[in-house]
Amino acid sequence: MIQLFHVTKHYEGCIALSDLTLRVEKGECVLITGPSGAGKTTLLKLIFGAEFPDDGQILVQNRNIARLRSTDIPFLRRTMGFVLQDFKLLPHKTVYENVELPLIIRGLSSFDAKRKVSESLRAVGMDHKRATNTSVLSAGEQQRVCIARAVVNSPIILLADEPTGNLDPELTYEITELFKAINARGTTVMLATHNRQVVEQINGRMIKLDCGRLLTDQGTIS
Amino acid sequence: MKRLMYLLREAMRGLRINRANTIIGIITTAFTIASFGVFLLLYHNVRTITGSLQDQIQVIIYLDDAITNQDKSALELALKKETHIESHTFLSKEEALQDFHQQFPEEAYLLEGIGDNPLPASFIVTIAPAPQASSHVSTLATQVKTLSGVEHVRYSQDWVERVTLFSSYLEIGALSVGIILSLASVTIISNTVRLAFLARREEIEILRLIGATGTFIAIPYLIEGAVLGALGGGLSLGLLRGGFEIVRDNIRDLSWVGGVQASINFFPIQMSVMLVMAGLILGCAGSALSVYGWMKIRT
Ligand SMILES: Nc1ncnc2c1ncn2[C@@H]1O[C@H](COP(=O)(O)OP(=O)(O)OP(=O)(O)O)[C@@H](O)[C@H]1O
Ligand SMILES: [Mg+2]
Repeated sequence: MIQLFHVTKHYEGCIALSDLTLRVEKGECVLITGPSGAGKTTLLKLIFGAEFPDDGQILVQNRNIARLRSTDIPFLRRTMGFVLQDFKLLPHKTVYENVELPLIIRGLSSFDAKRKVSESLRAVGMDHKRATNTSVLSAGEQQRVCIARAVVNSPIILLADEPTGNLDPELTYEITELFKAINARGTTVMLATHNRQVVEQINGRMIKLDCGRLLTDQGTIS
Repeated sequence: MKRLMYLLREAMRGLRINRANTIIGIITTAFTIASFGVFLLLYHNVRTITGSLQDQIQVIIYLDDAITNQDKSALELALKKETHIESHTFLSKEEALQDFHQQFPEEAYLLEGIGDNPLPASFIVTIAPAPQASSHVSTLATQVKTLSGVEHVRYSQDWVERVTLFSSYLEIGALSVGIILSLASVTIISNTVRLAFLARREEIEILRLIGATGTFIAIPYLIEGAVLGALGGGLSLGLLRGGFEIVRDNIRDLSWVGGVQASINFFPIQMSVMLVMAGLILGCAGSALSVYGWMKIRT
């Protein structure tokens, strides 16, 4: 499903990822941990086609990201959901409109869209704020809207960057359960986190990064 | 359907958000299109006037005083046969004199000392209105000239040719001014849209992240440009109309143009629509220029 071969990524002066080789099978749930600046976000962005590697190959669903034409990237992204660390919600649109947008982009009929948006808003417990402007939401609320937007179109791959960073333990539990449920339905999940609670709750394969290097890759069990 | 609604709504929102830029864009476009419109209006009217001049082309065939009756009826027969001729009337020497006295009572004394009536008899021939009327006139004139009993042939050819020449100069002028001004309004709209685009850079980034294609992102801006251009075109029409009314009030009477009954007119409706369409197309082109230029830099 996702394969990286000797991937290296530099940003001016610093190495974000170096010589990373990794393989994630369909339906897996992979946790990515490591200290701040280890390259977790960079890894997810590379898989999403939001950044390009300086070296190495990345295959996502058997397509080589580096060789993809820029006009094909949108279509690849439509099969993936990305919970961004900094949310990136449209500020002068309502919660509902933000979550609906990926469906509009895909040209889904408004009847289906309505049902799907309500479903995913309910899943993250944000249905009661559907008409609220996203700019007035708290960080935790924005994070949940971002999760709803990522899962609304039932993605094949779900990438989540620190999805519980702004949530209290109770919500963290619920959101983690949501990720587990999505994974149980066959979606491949990659989740970057520092959170012990999430790690313990998911208790699956865990990749540790440090300074752009793969430190350990354990627990490919279950 | 939903998608279309979304794109339209986004375009309208864009126009609303950048209201100051929108208004500046519309006004500048209106003025550029209006300046082109002035040329077009001038051209349109010169063309109409030329047309009506050609409608009224007259050929005057002056007869020799010594013309035989036989030659005269032969000439009349020839005129009757000519298909391009609408009508012809005979003006005898006496009638010519009467006309002269009537038209120029002040100058009547000029003829007094001469005794005999010096004015020749003539046929006044009106050419049927046709696109090539002026060429018919010259062929007719050369033909008639050779007939016996004809002293001289006069026609308003010169005038017609000069106006036609003027209108072709005007055509070239309108074309070149049009091209220059089109480039100007494309640039103006392109800048307006670029500003709108830059103001929403963040949003575009987000749209890309959730899988929007370049086209999906560009369409609202193209609509914005088209609306700007069309509104500019509409406003320019209003400006032209206003200016036109003022000019018309000042030159009600155009009879000095070669003694022709002509009046100046505003564009017909098709031409007005074309002007607005031109604005719309220029607007679209302008925003396409900036949007696709921008996207090329980005990816
Ligand atoms: N756009 C960028 N320009 C320059 N350097 C960058 C950029 N993005 C990331 N980096 C650098 O790359 C390294 C890895 O960053 P990354 O965001 O992947 O870390 P992370 O593991 O996600 O950290 P955190 O846990 O704090 O989110 C860091 O040293 C960071 O400074
Ligand atoms: Mg990060």
